[in-house]
Amino acid sequence: MKLITKTTLFFLLISLPLLVIGCIYSYNVINAEVKDGTDESLFRENINLQNLIKSFNEPRNLYLNSDSLTSIVVLKEKSPLDAFTDTLVYDKLEKEDLNYRLYRSYFFYNGTHYLISCSKPTLEEDELKEGLLTAFSLVFGFLLVSFFAVNIILSKIIWKPFYKTLEQLNKYDINNQAQIVFDSSSTKEFKRLNETMRKMTEKIYSDYRQQKEFTENASHELQTPLAVIKTKLDLLIQSNKLGEEELELLQGMENSVQKISSLNRALLLLTKIENKQFKEHKAVNLKEVIEKVVENYSDLFQEKKVTVKTILDNSVVLEMNPSLADLLVSNLVQNAYRHNKENGNMEIELTPDKLIVSNTGEPLQIKPEELFVRFKKNDASKDSLGLGLSIVKSIAAVYDYKIEYAYANGTHTFSVIFAK
Amino acid sequence: MKILLIEDEPELRKSIKQFLYQEGYVVESADAYVKASEKASDYDYDCVLVDITLPKGSGLDIVKQLKKNNSKAGIIIISAKNSLDDKIAGLDLGADDYLPKPFHLSELNARIKALIRRRNFDGNQSIVINEITILPEERRVKVNNEEVTLTSKEYDLLLYFVSNKNRVVSKNSIAEHLVGDSADQVDSHDFIYTHLKNLRKKLTEKGCADYVQTIYGIGYNFKTD
Repeated sequence: MKLITKTTLFFLLISLPLLVIGCIYSYNVINAEVKDGTDESLFRENINLQNLIKSFNEPRNLYLNSDSLTSIVVLKEKSPLDAFTDTLVYDKLEKEDLNYRLYRSYFFYNGTHYLISCSKPTLEEDELKEGLLTAFSLVFGFLLVSFFAVNIILSKIIWKPFYKTLEQLNKYDINNQAQIVFDSSSTKEFKRLNETMRKMTEKIYSDYRQQKEFTENASHELQTPLAVIKTKLDLLIQSNKLGEEELELLQGMENSVQKISSLNRALLLLTKIENKQFKEHKAVNLKEVIEKVVENYSDLFQEKKVTVKTILDNSVVLEMNPSLADLLVSNLVQNAYRHNKENGNMEIELTPDKLIVSNTGEPLQIKPEELFVRFKKNDASKDSLGLGLSIVKSIAAVYDYKIEYAYANGTHTFSVIFAK
Repeated sequence: MKILLIEDEPELRKSIKQFLYQEGYVVESADAYVKASEKASDYDYDCVLVDITLPKGSGLDIVKQLKKNNSKAGIIIISAKNSLDDKIAGLDLGADDYLPKPFHLSELNARIKALIRRRNFDGNQSIVINEITILPEERRVKVNNEEVTLTSKEYDLLLYFVSNKNRVVSKNSIAEHLVGDSADQVDSHDFIYTHLKNLRKKLTEKGCADYVQTIYGIGYNFKTD
């Protein structure tokens, strides 16, 4: 729900009980005022009737209307009566009971006791209620309509800078943009928001830069001592004074150094992929990439007697970084080779929608979702870094490709789905 | 053959220098930008190995300087920053090759030899080792004047051995040379073994001596003398 809709609803919710209270109050005030007015005019009429009595030659009764509510009646004795009352009178014309205000008072003149009654129809409470309800409903309806109208206008005008800021934040790409230049706004809150966002993105950018530099520097710092060890080992193994024992020690060192440098490179590569530092994109024919990779490993497949079947659509051209396309395919193929069995099968299928690489092999020892986790290896003894599928995953993430894994009938299947 | 080595890390400089001496090159070295720049302008070299990050300067500027002076030297950038940007920048400036650290000396050796071959003989010179003749330009190999058909990897392997003949070449360096900088390498030792087996078979079938000696555990030596 939009903020402005929320505020509007809130205002409407508040205004509803206020309107009800207003309605009840108006009803009471109007009722009281009307009563006062009626009473006053009845009182005046009473005086008129008294004057009428004073003009009588002799005492008599006088009925001034048919229902005898306004009348002068001669009494036998004195009465204490002097009161206003409400009474209902059936009206033949409207065929309903009508409210009347009745004033009866005692009057003594010229030795005769009189009872003076006078009446007036008063406001009908039902009608008053109805009228008020209609009026207030109209007000409420008007409020509703105007609130929503204002809502739309406000969100178009006042909230414009806010939506602009939101859009700019949404589009912000830390790899291509050092900072966001926000439009200036005359609204204090938005000014503060933009200022805060500017500071925040600047901070994030500088942290990001530092982290990136750290990764690069760390790698740089590691590569140089590794290069020293590697070259020294190269020189050392040239010596003809080494026996089997020494060579075995050297071999262990060689392999470990190699592993560290591979790890270092692979981690750096992952960082680069995740930081989207592979910027150059062009049309890559995936069939050609796959054929090249398969050709590269063909001797290995022969050695392990792995039969490779490829069904490749020639028309699949993806907008990708060529190095990443190569890495994606080669890591999938390596994986399918490494975890294959002797005399096994590998199938690579390329369609416009997806790339499927499947291989025969033992069921997984680890959970399928752990397959793409860094350093998670299905078989810890295998000579692998455990980063191949992480690289596949991070490349897929760059291009919003989906990766699916399934195991059925002794076959592992990895699918990279291009279609969004 | 005269080589200028520009590298600020003393131990690495020492190793590379020692190795280049062993290979019979004349080596000059520099450890900082100014010295490197002076040497690069005062003498002629066949090959310059230059590190990008140097104290008080960038190796890329040395490359620029060499190119400006129309130097005939082949240039190999050796850098710890295995970044594509640096590689592209270096090659754009006119460097001939880019070798990320950490590298094997055998790899460096192969690169230097290939570079010098390209520079001095336009790549047309054939490499002759006893009965083996390699024609690098055409990627062809002859044994006793008879054509041997090798796969691309087998050819690369043979050329690598020949470039490093009479030196022990570690399995790891071969794997890196053949597979390249692929992140998570396929079980590399199987890989080399397969290719080596096939190469040996093809060569000996044509009556070639088996020059490849296995050095216990660690690698091979292509021994010709």
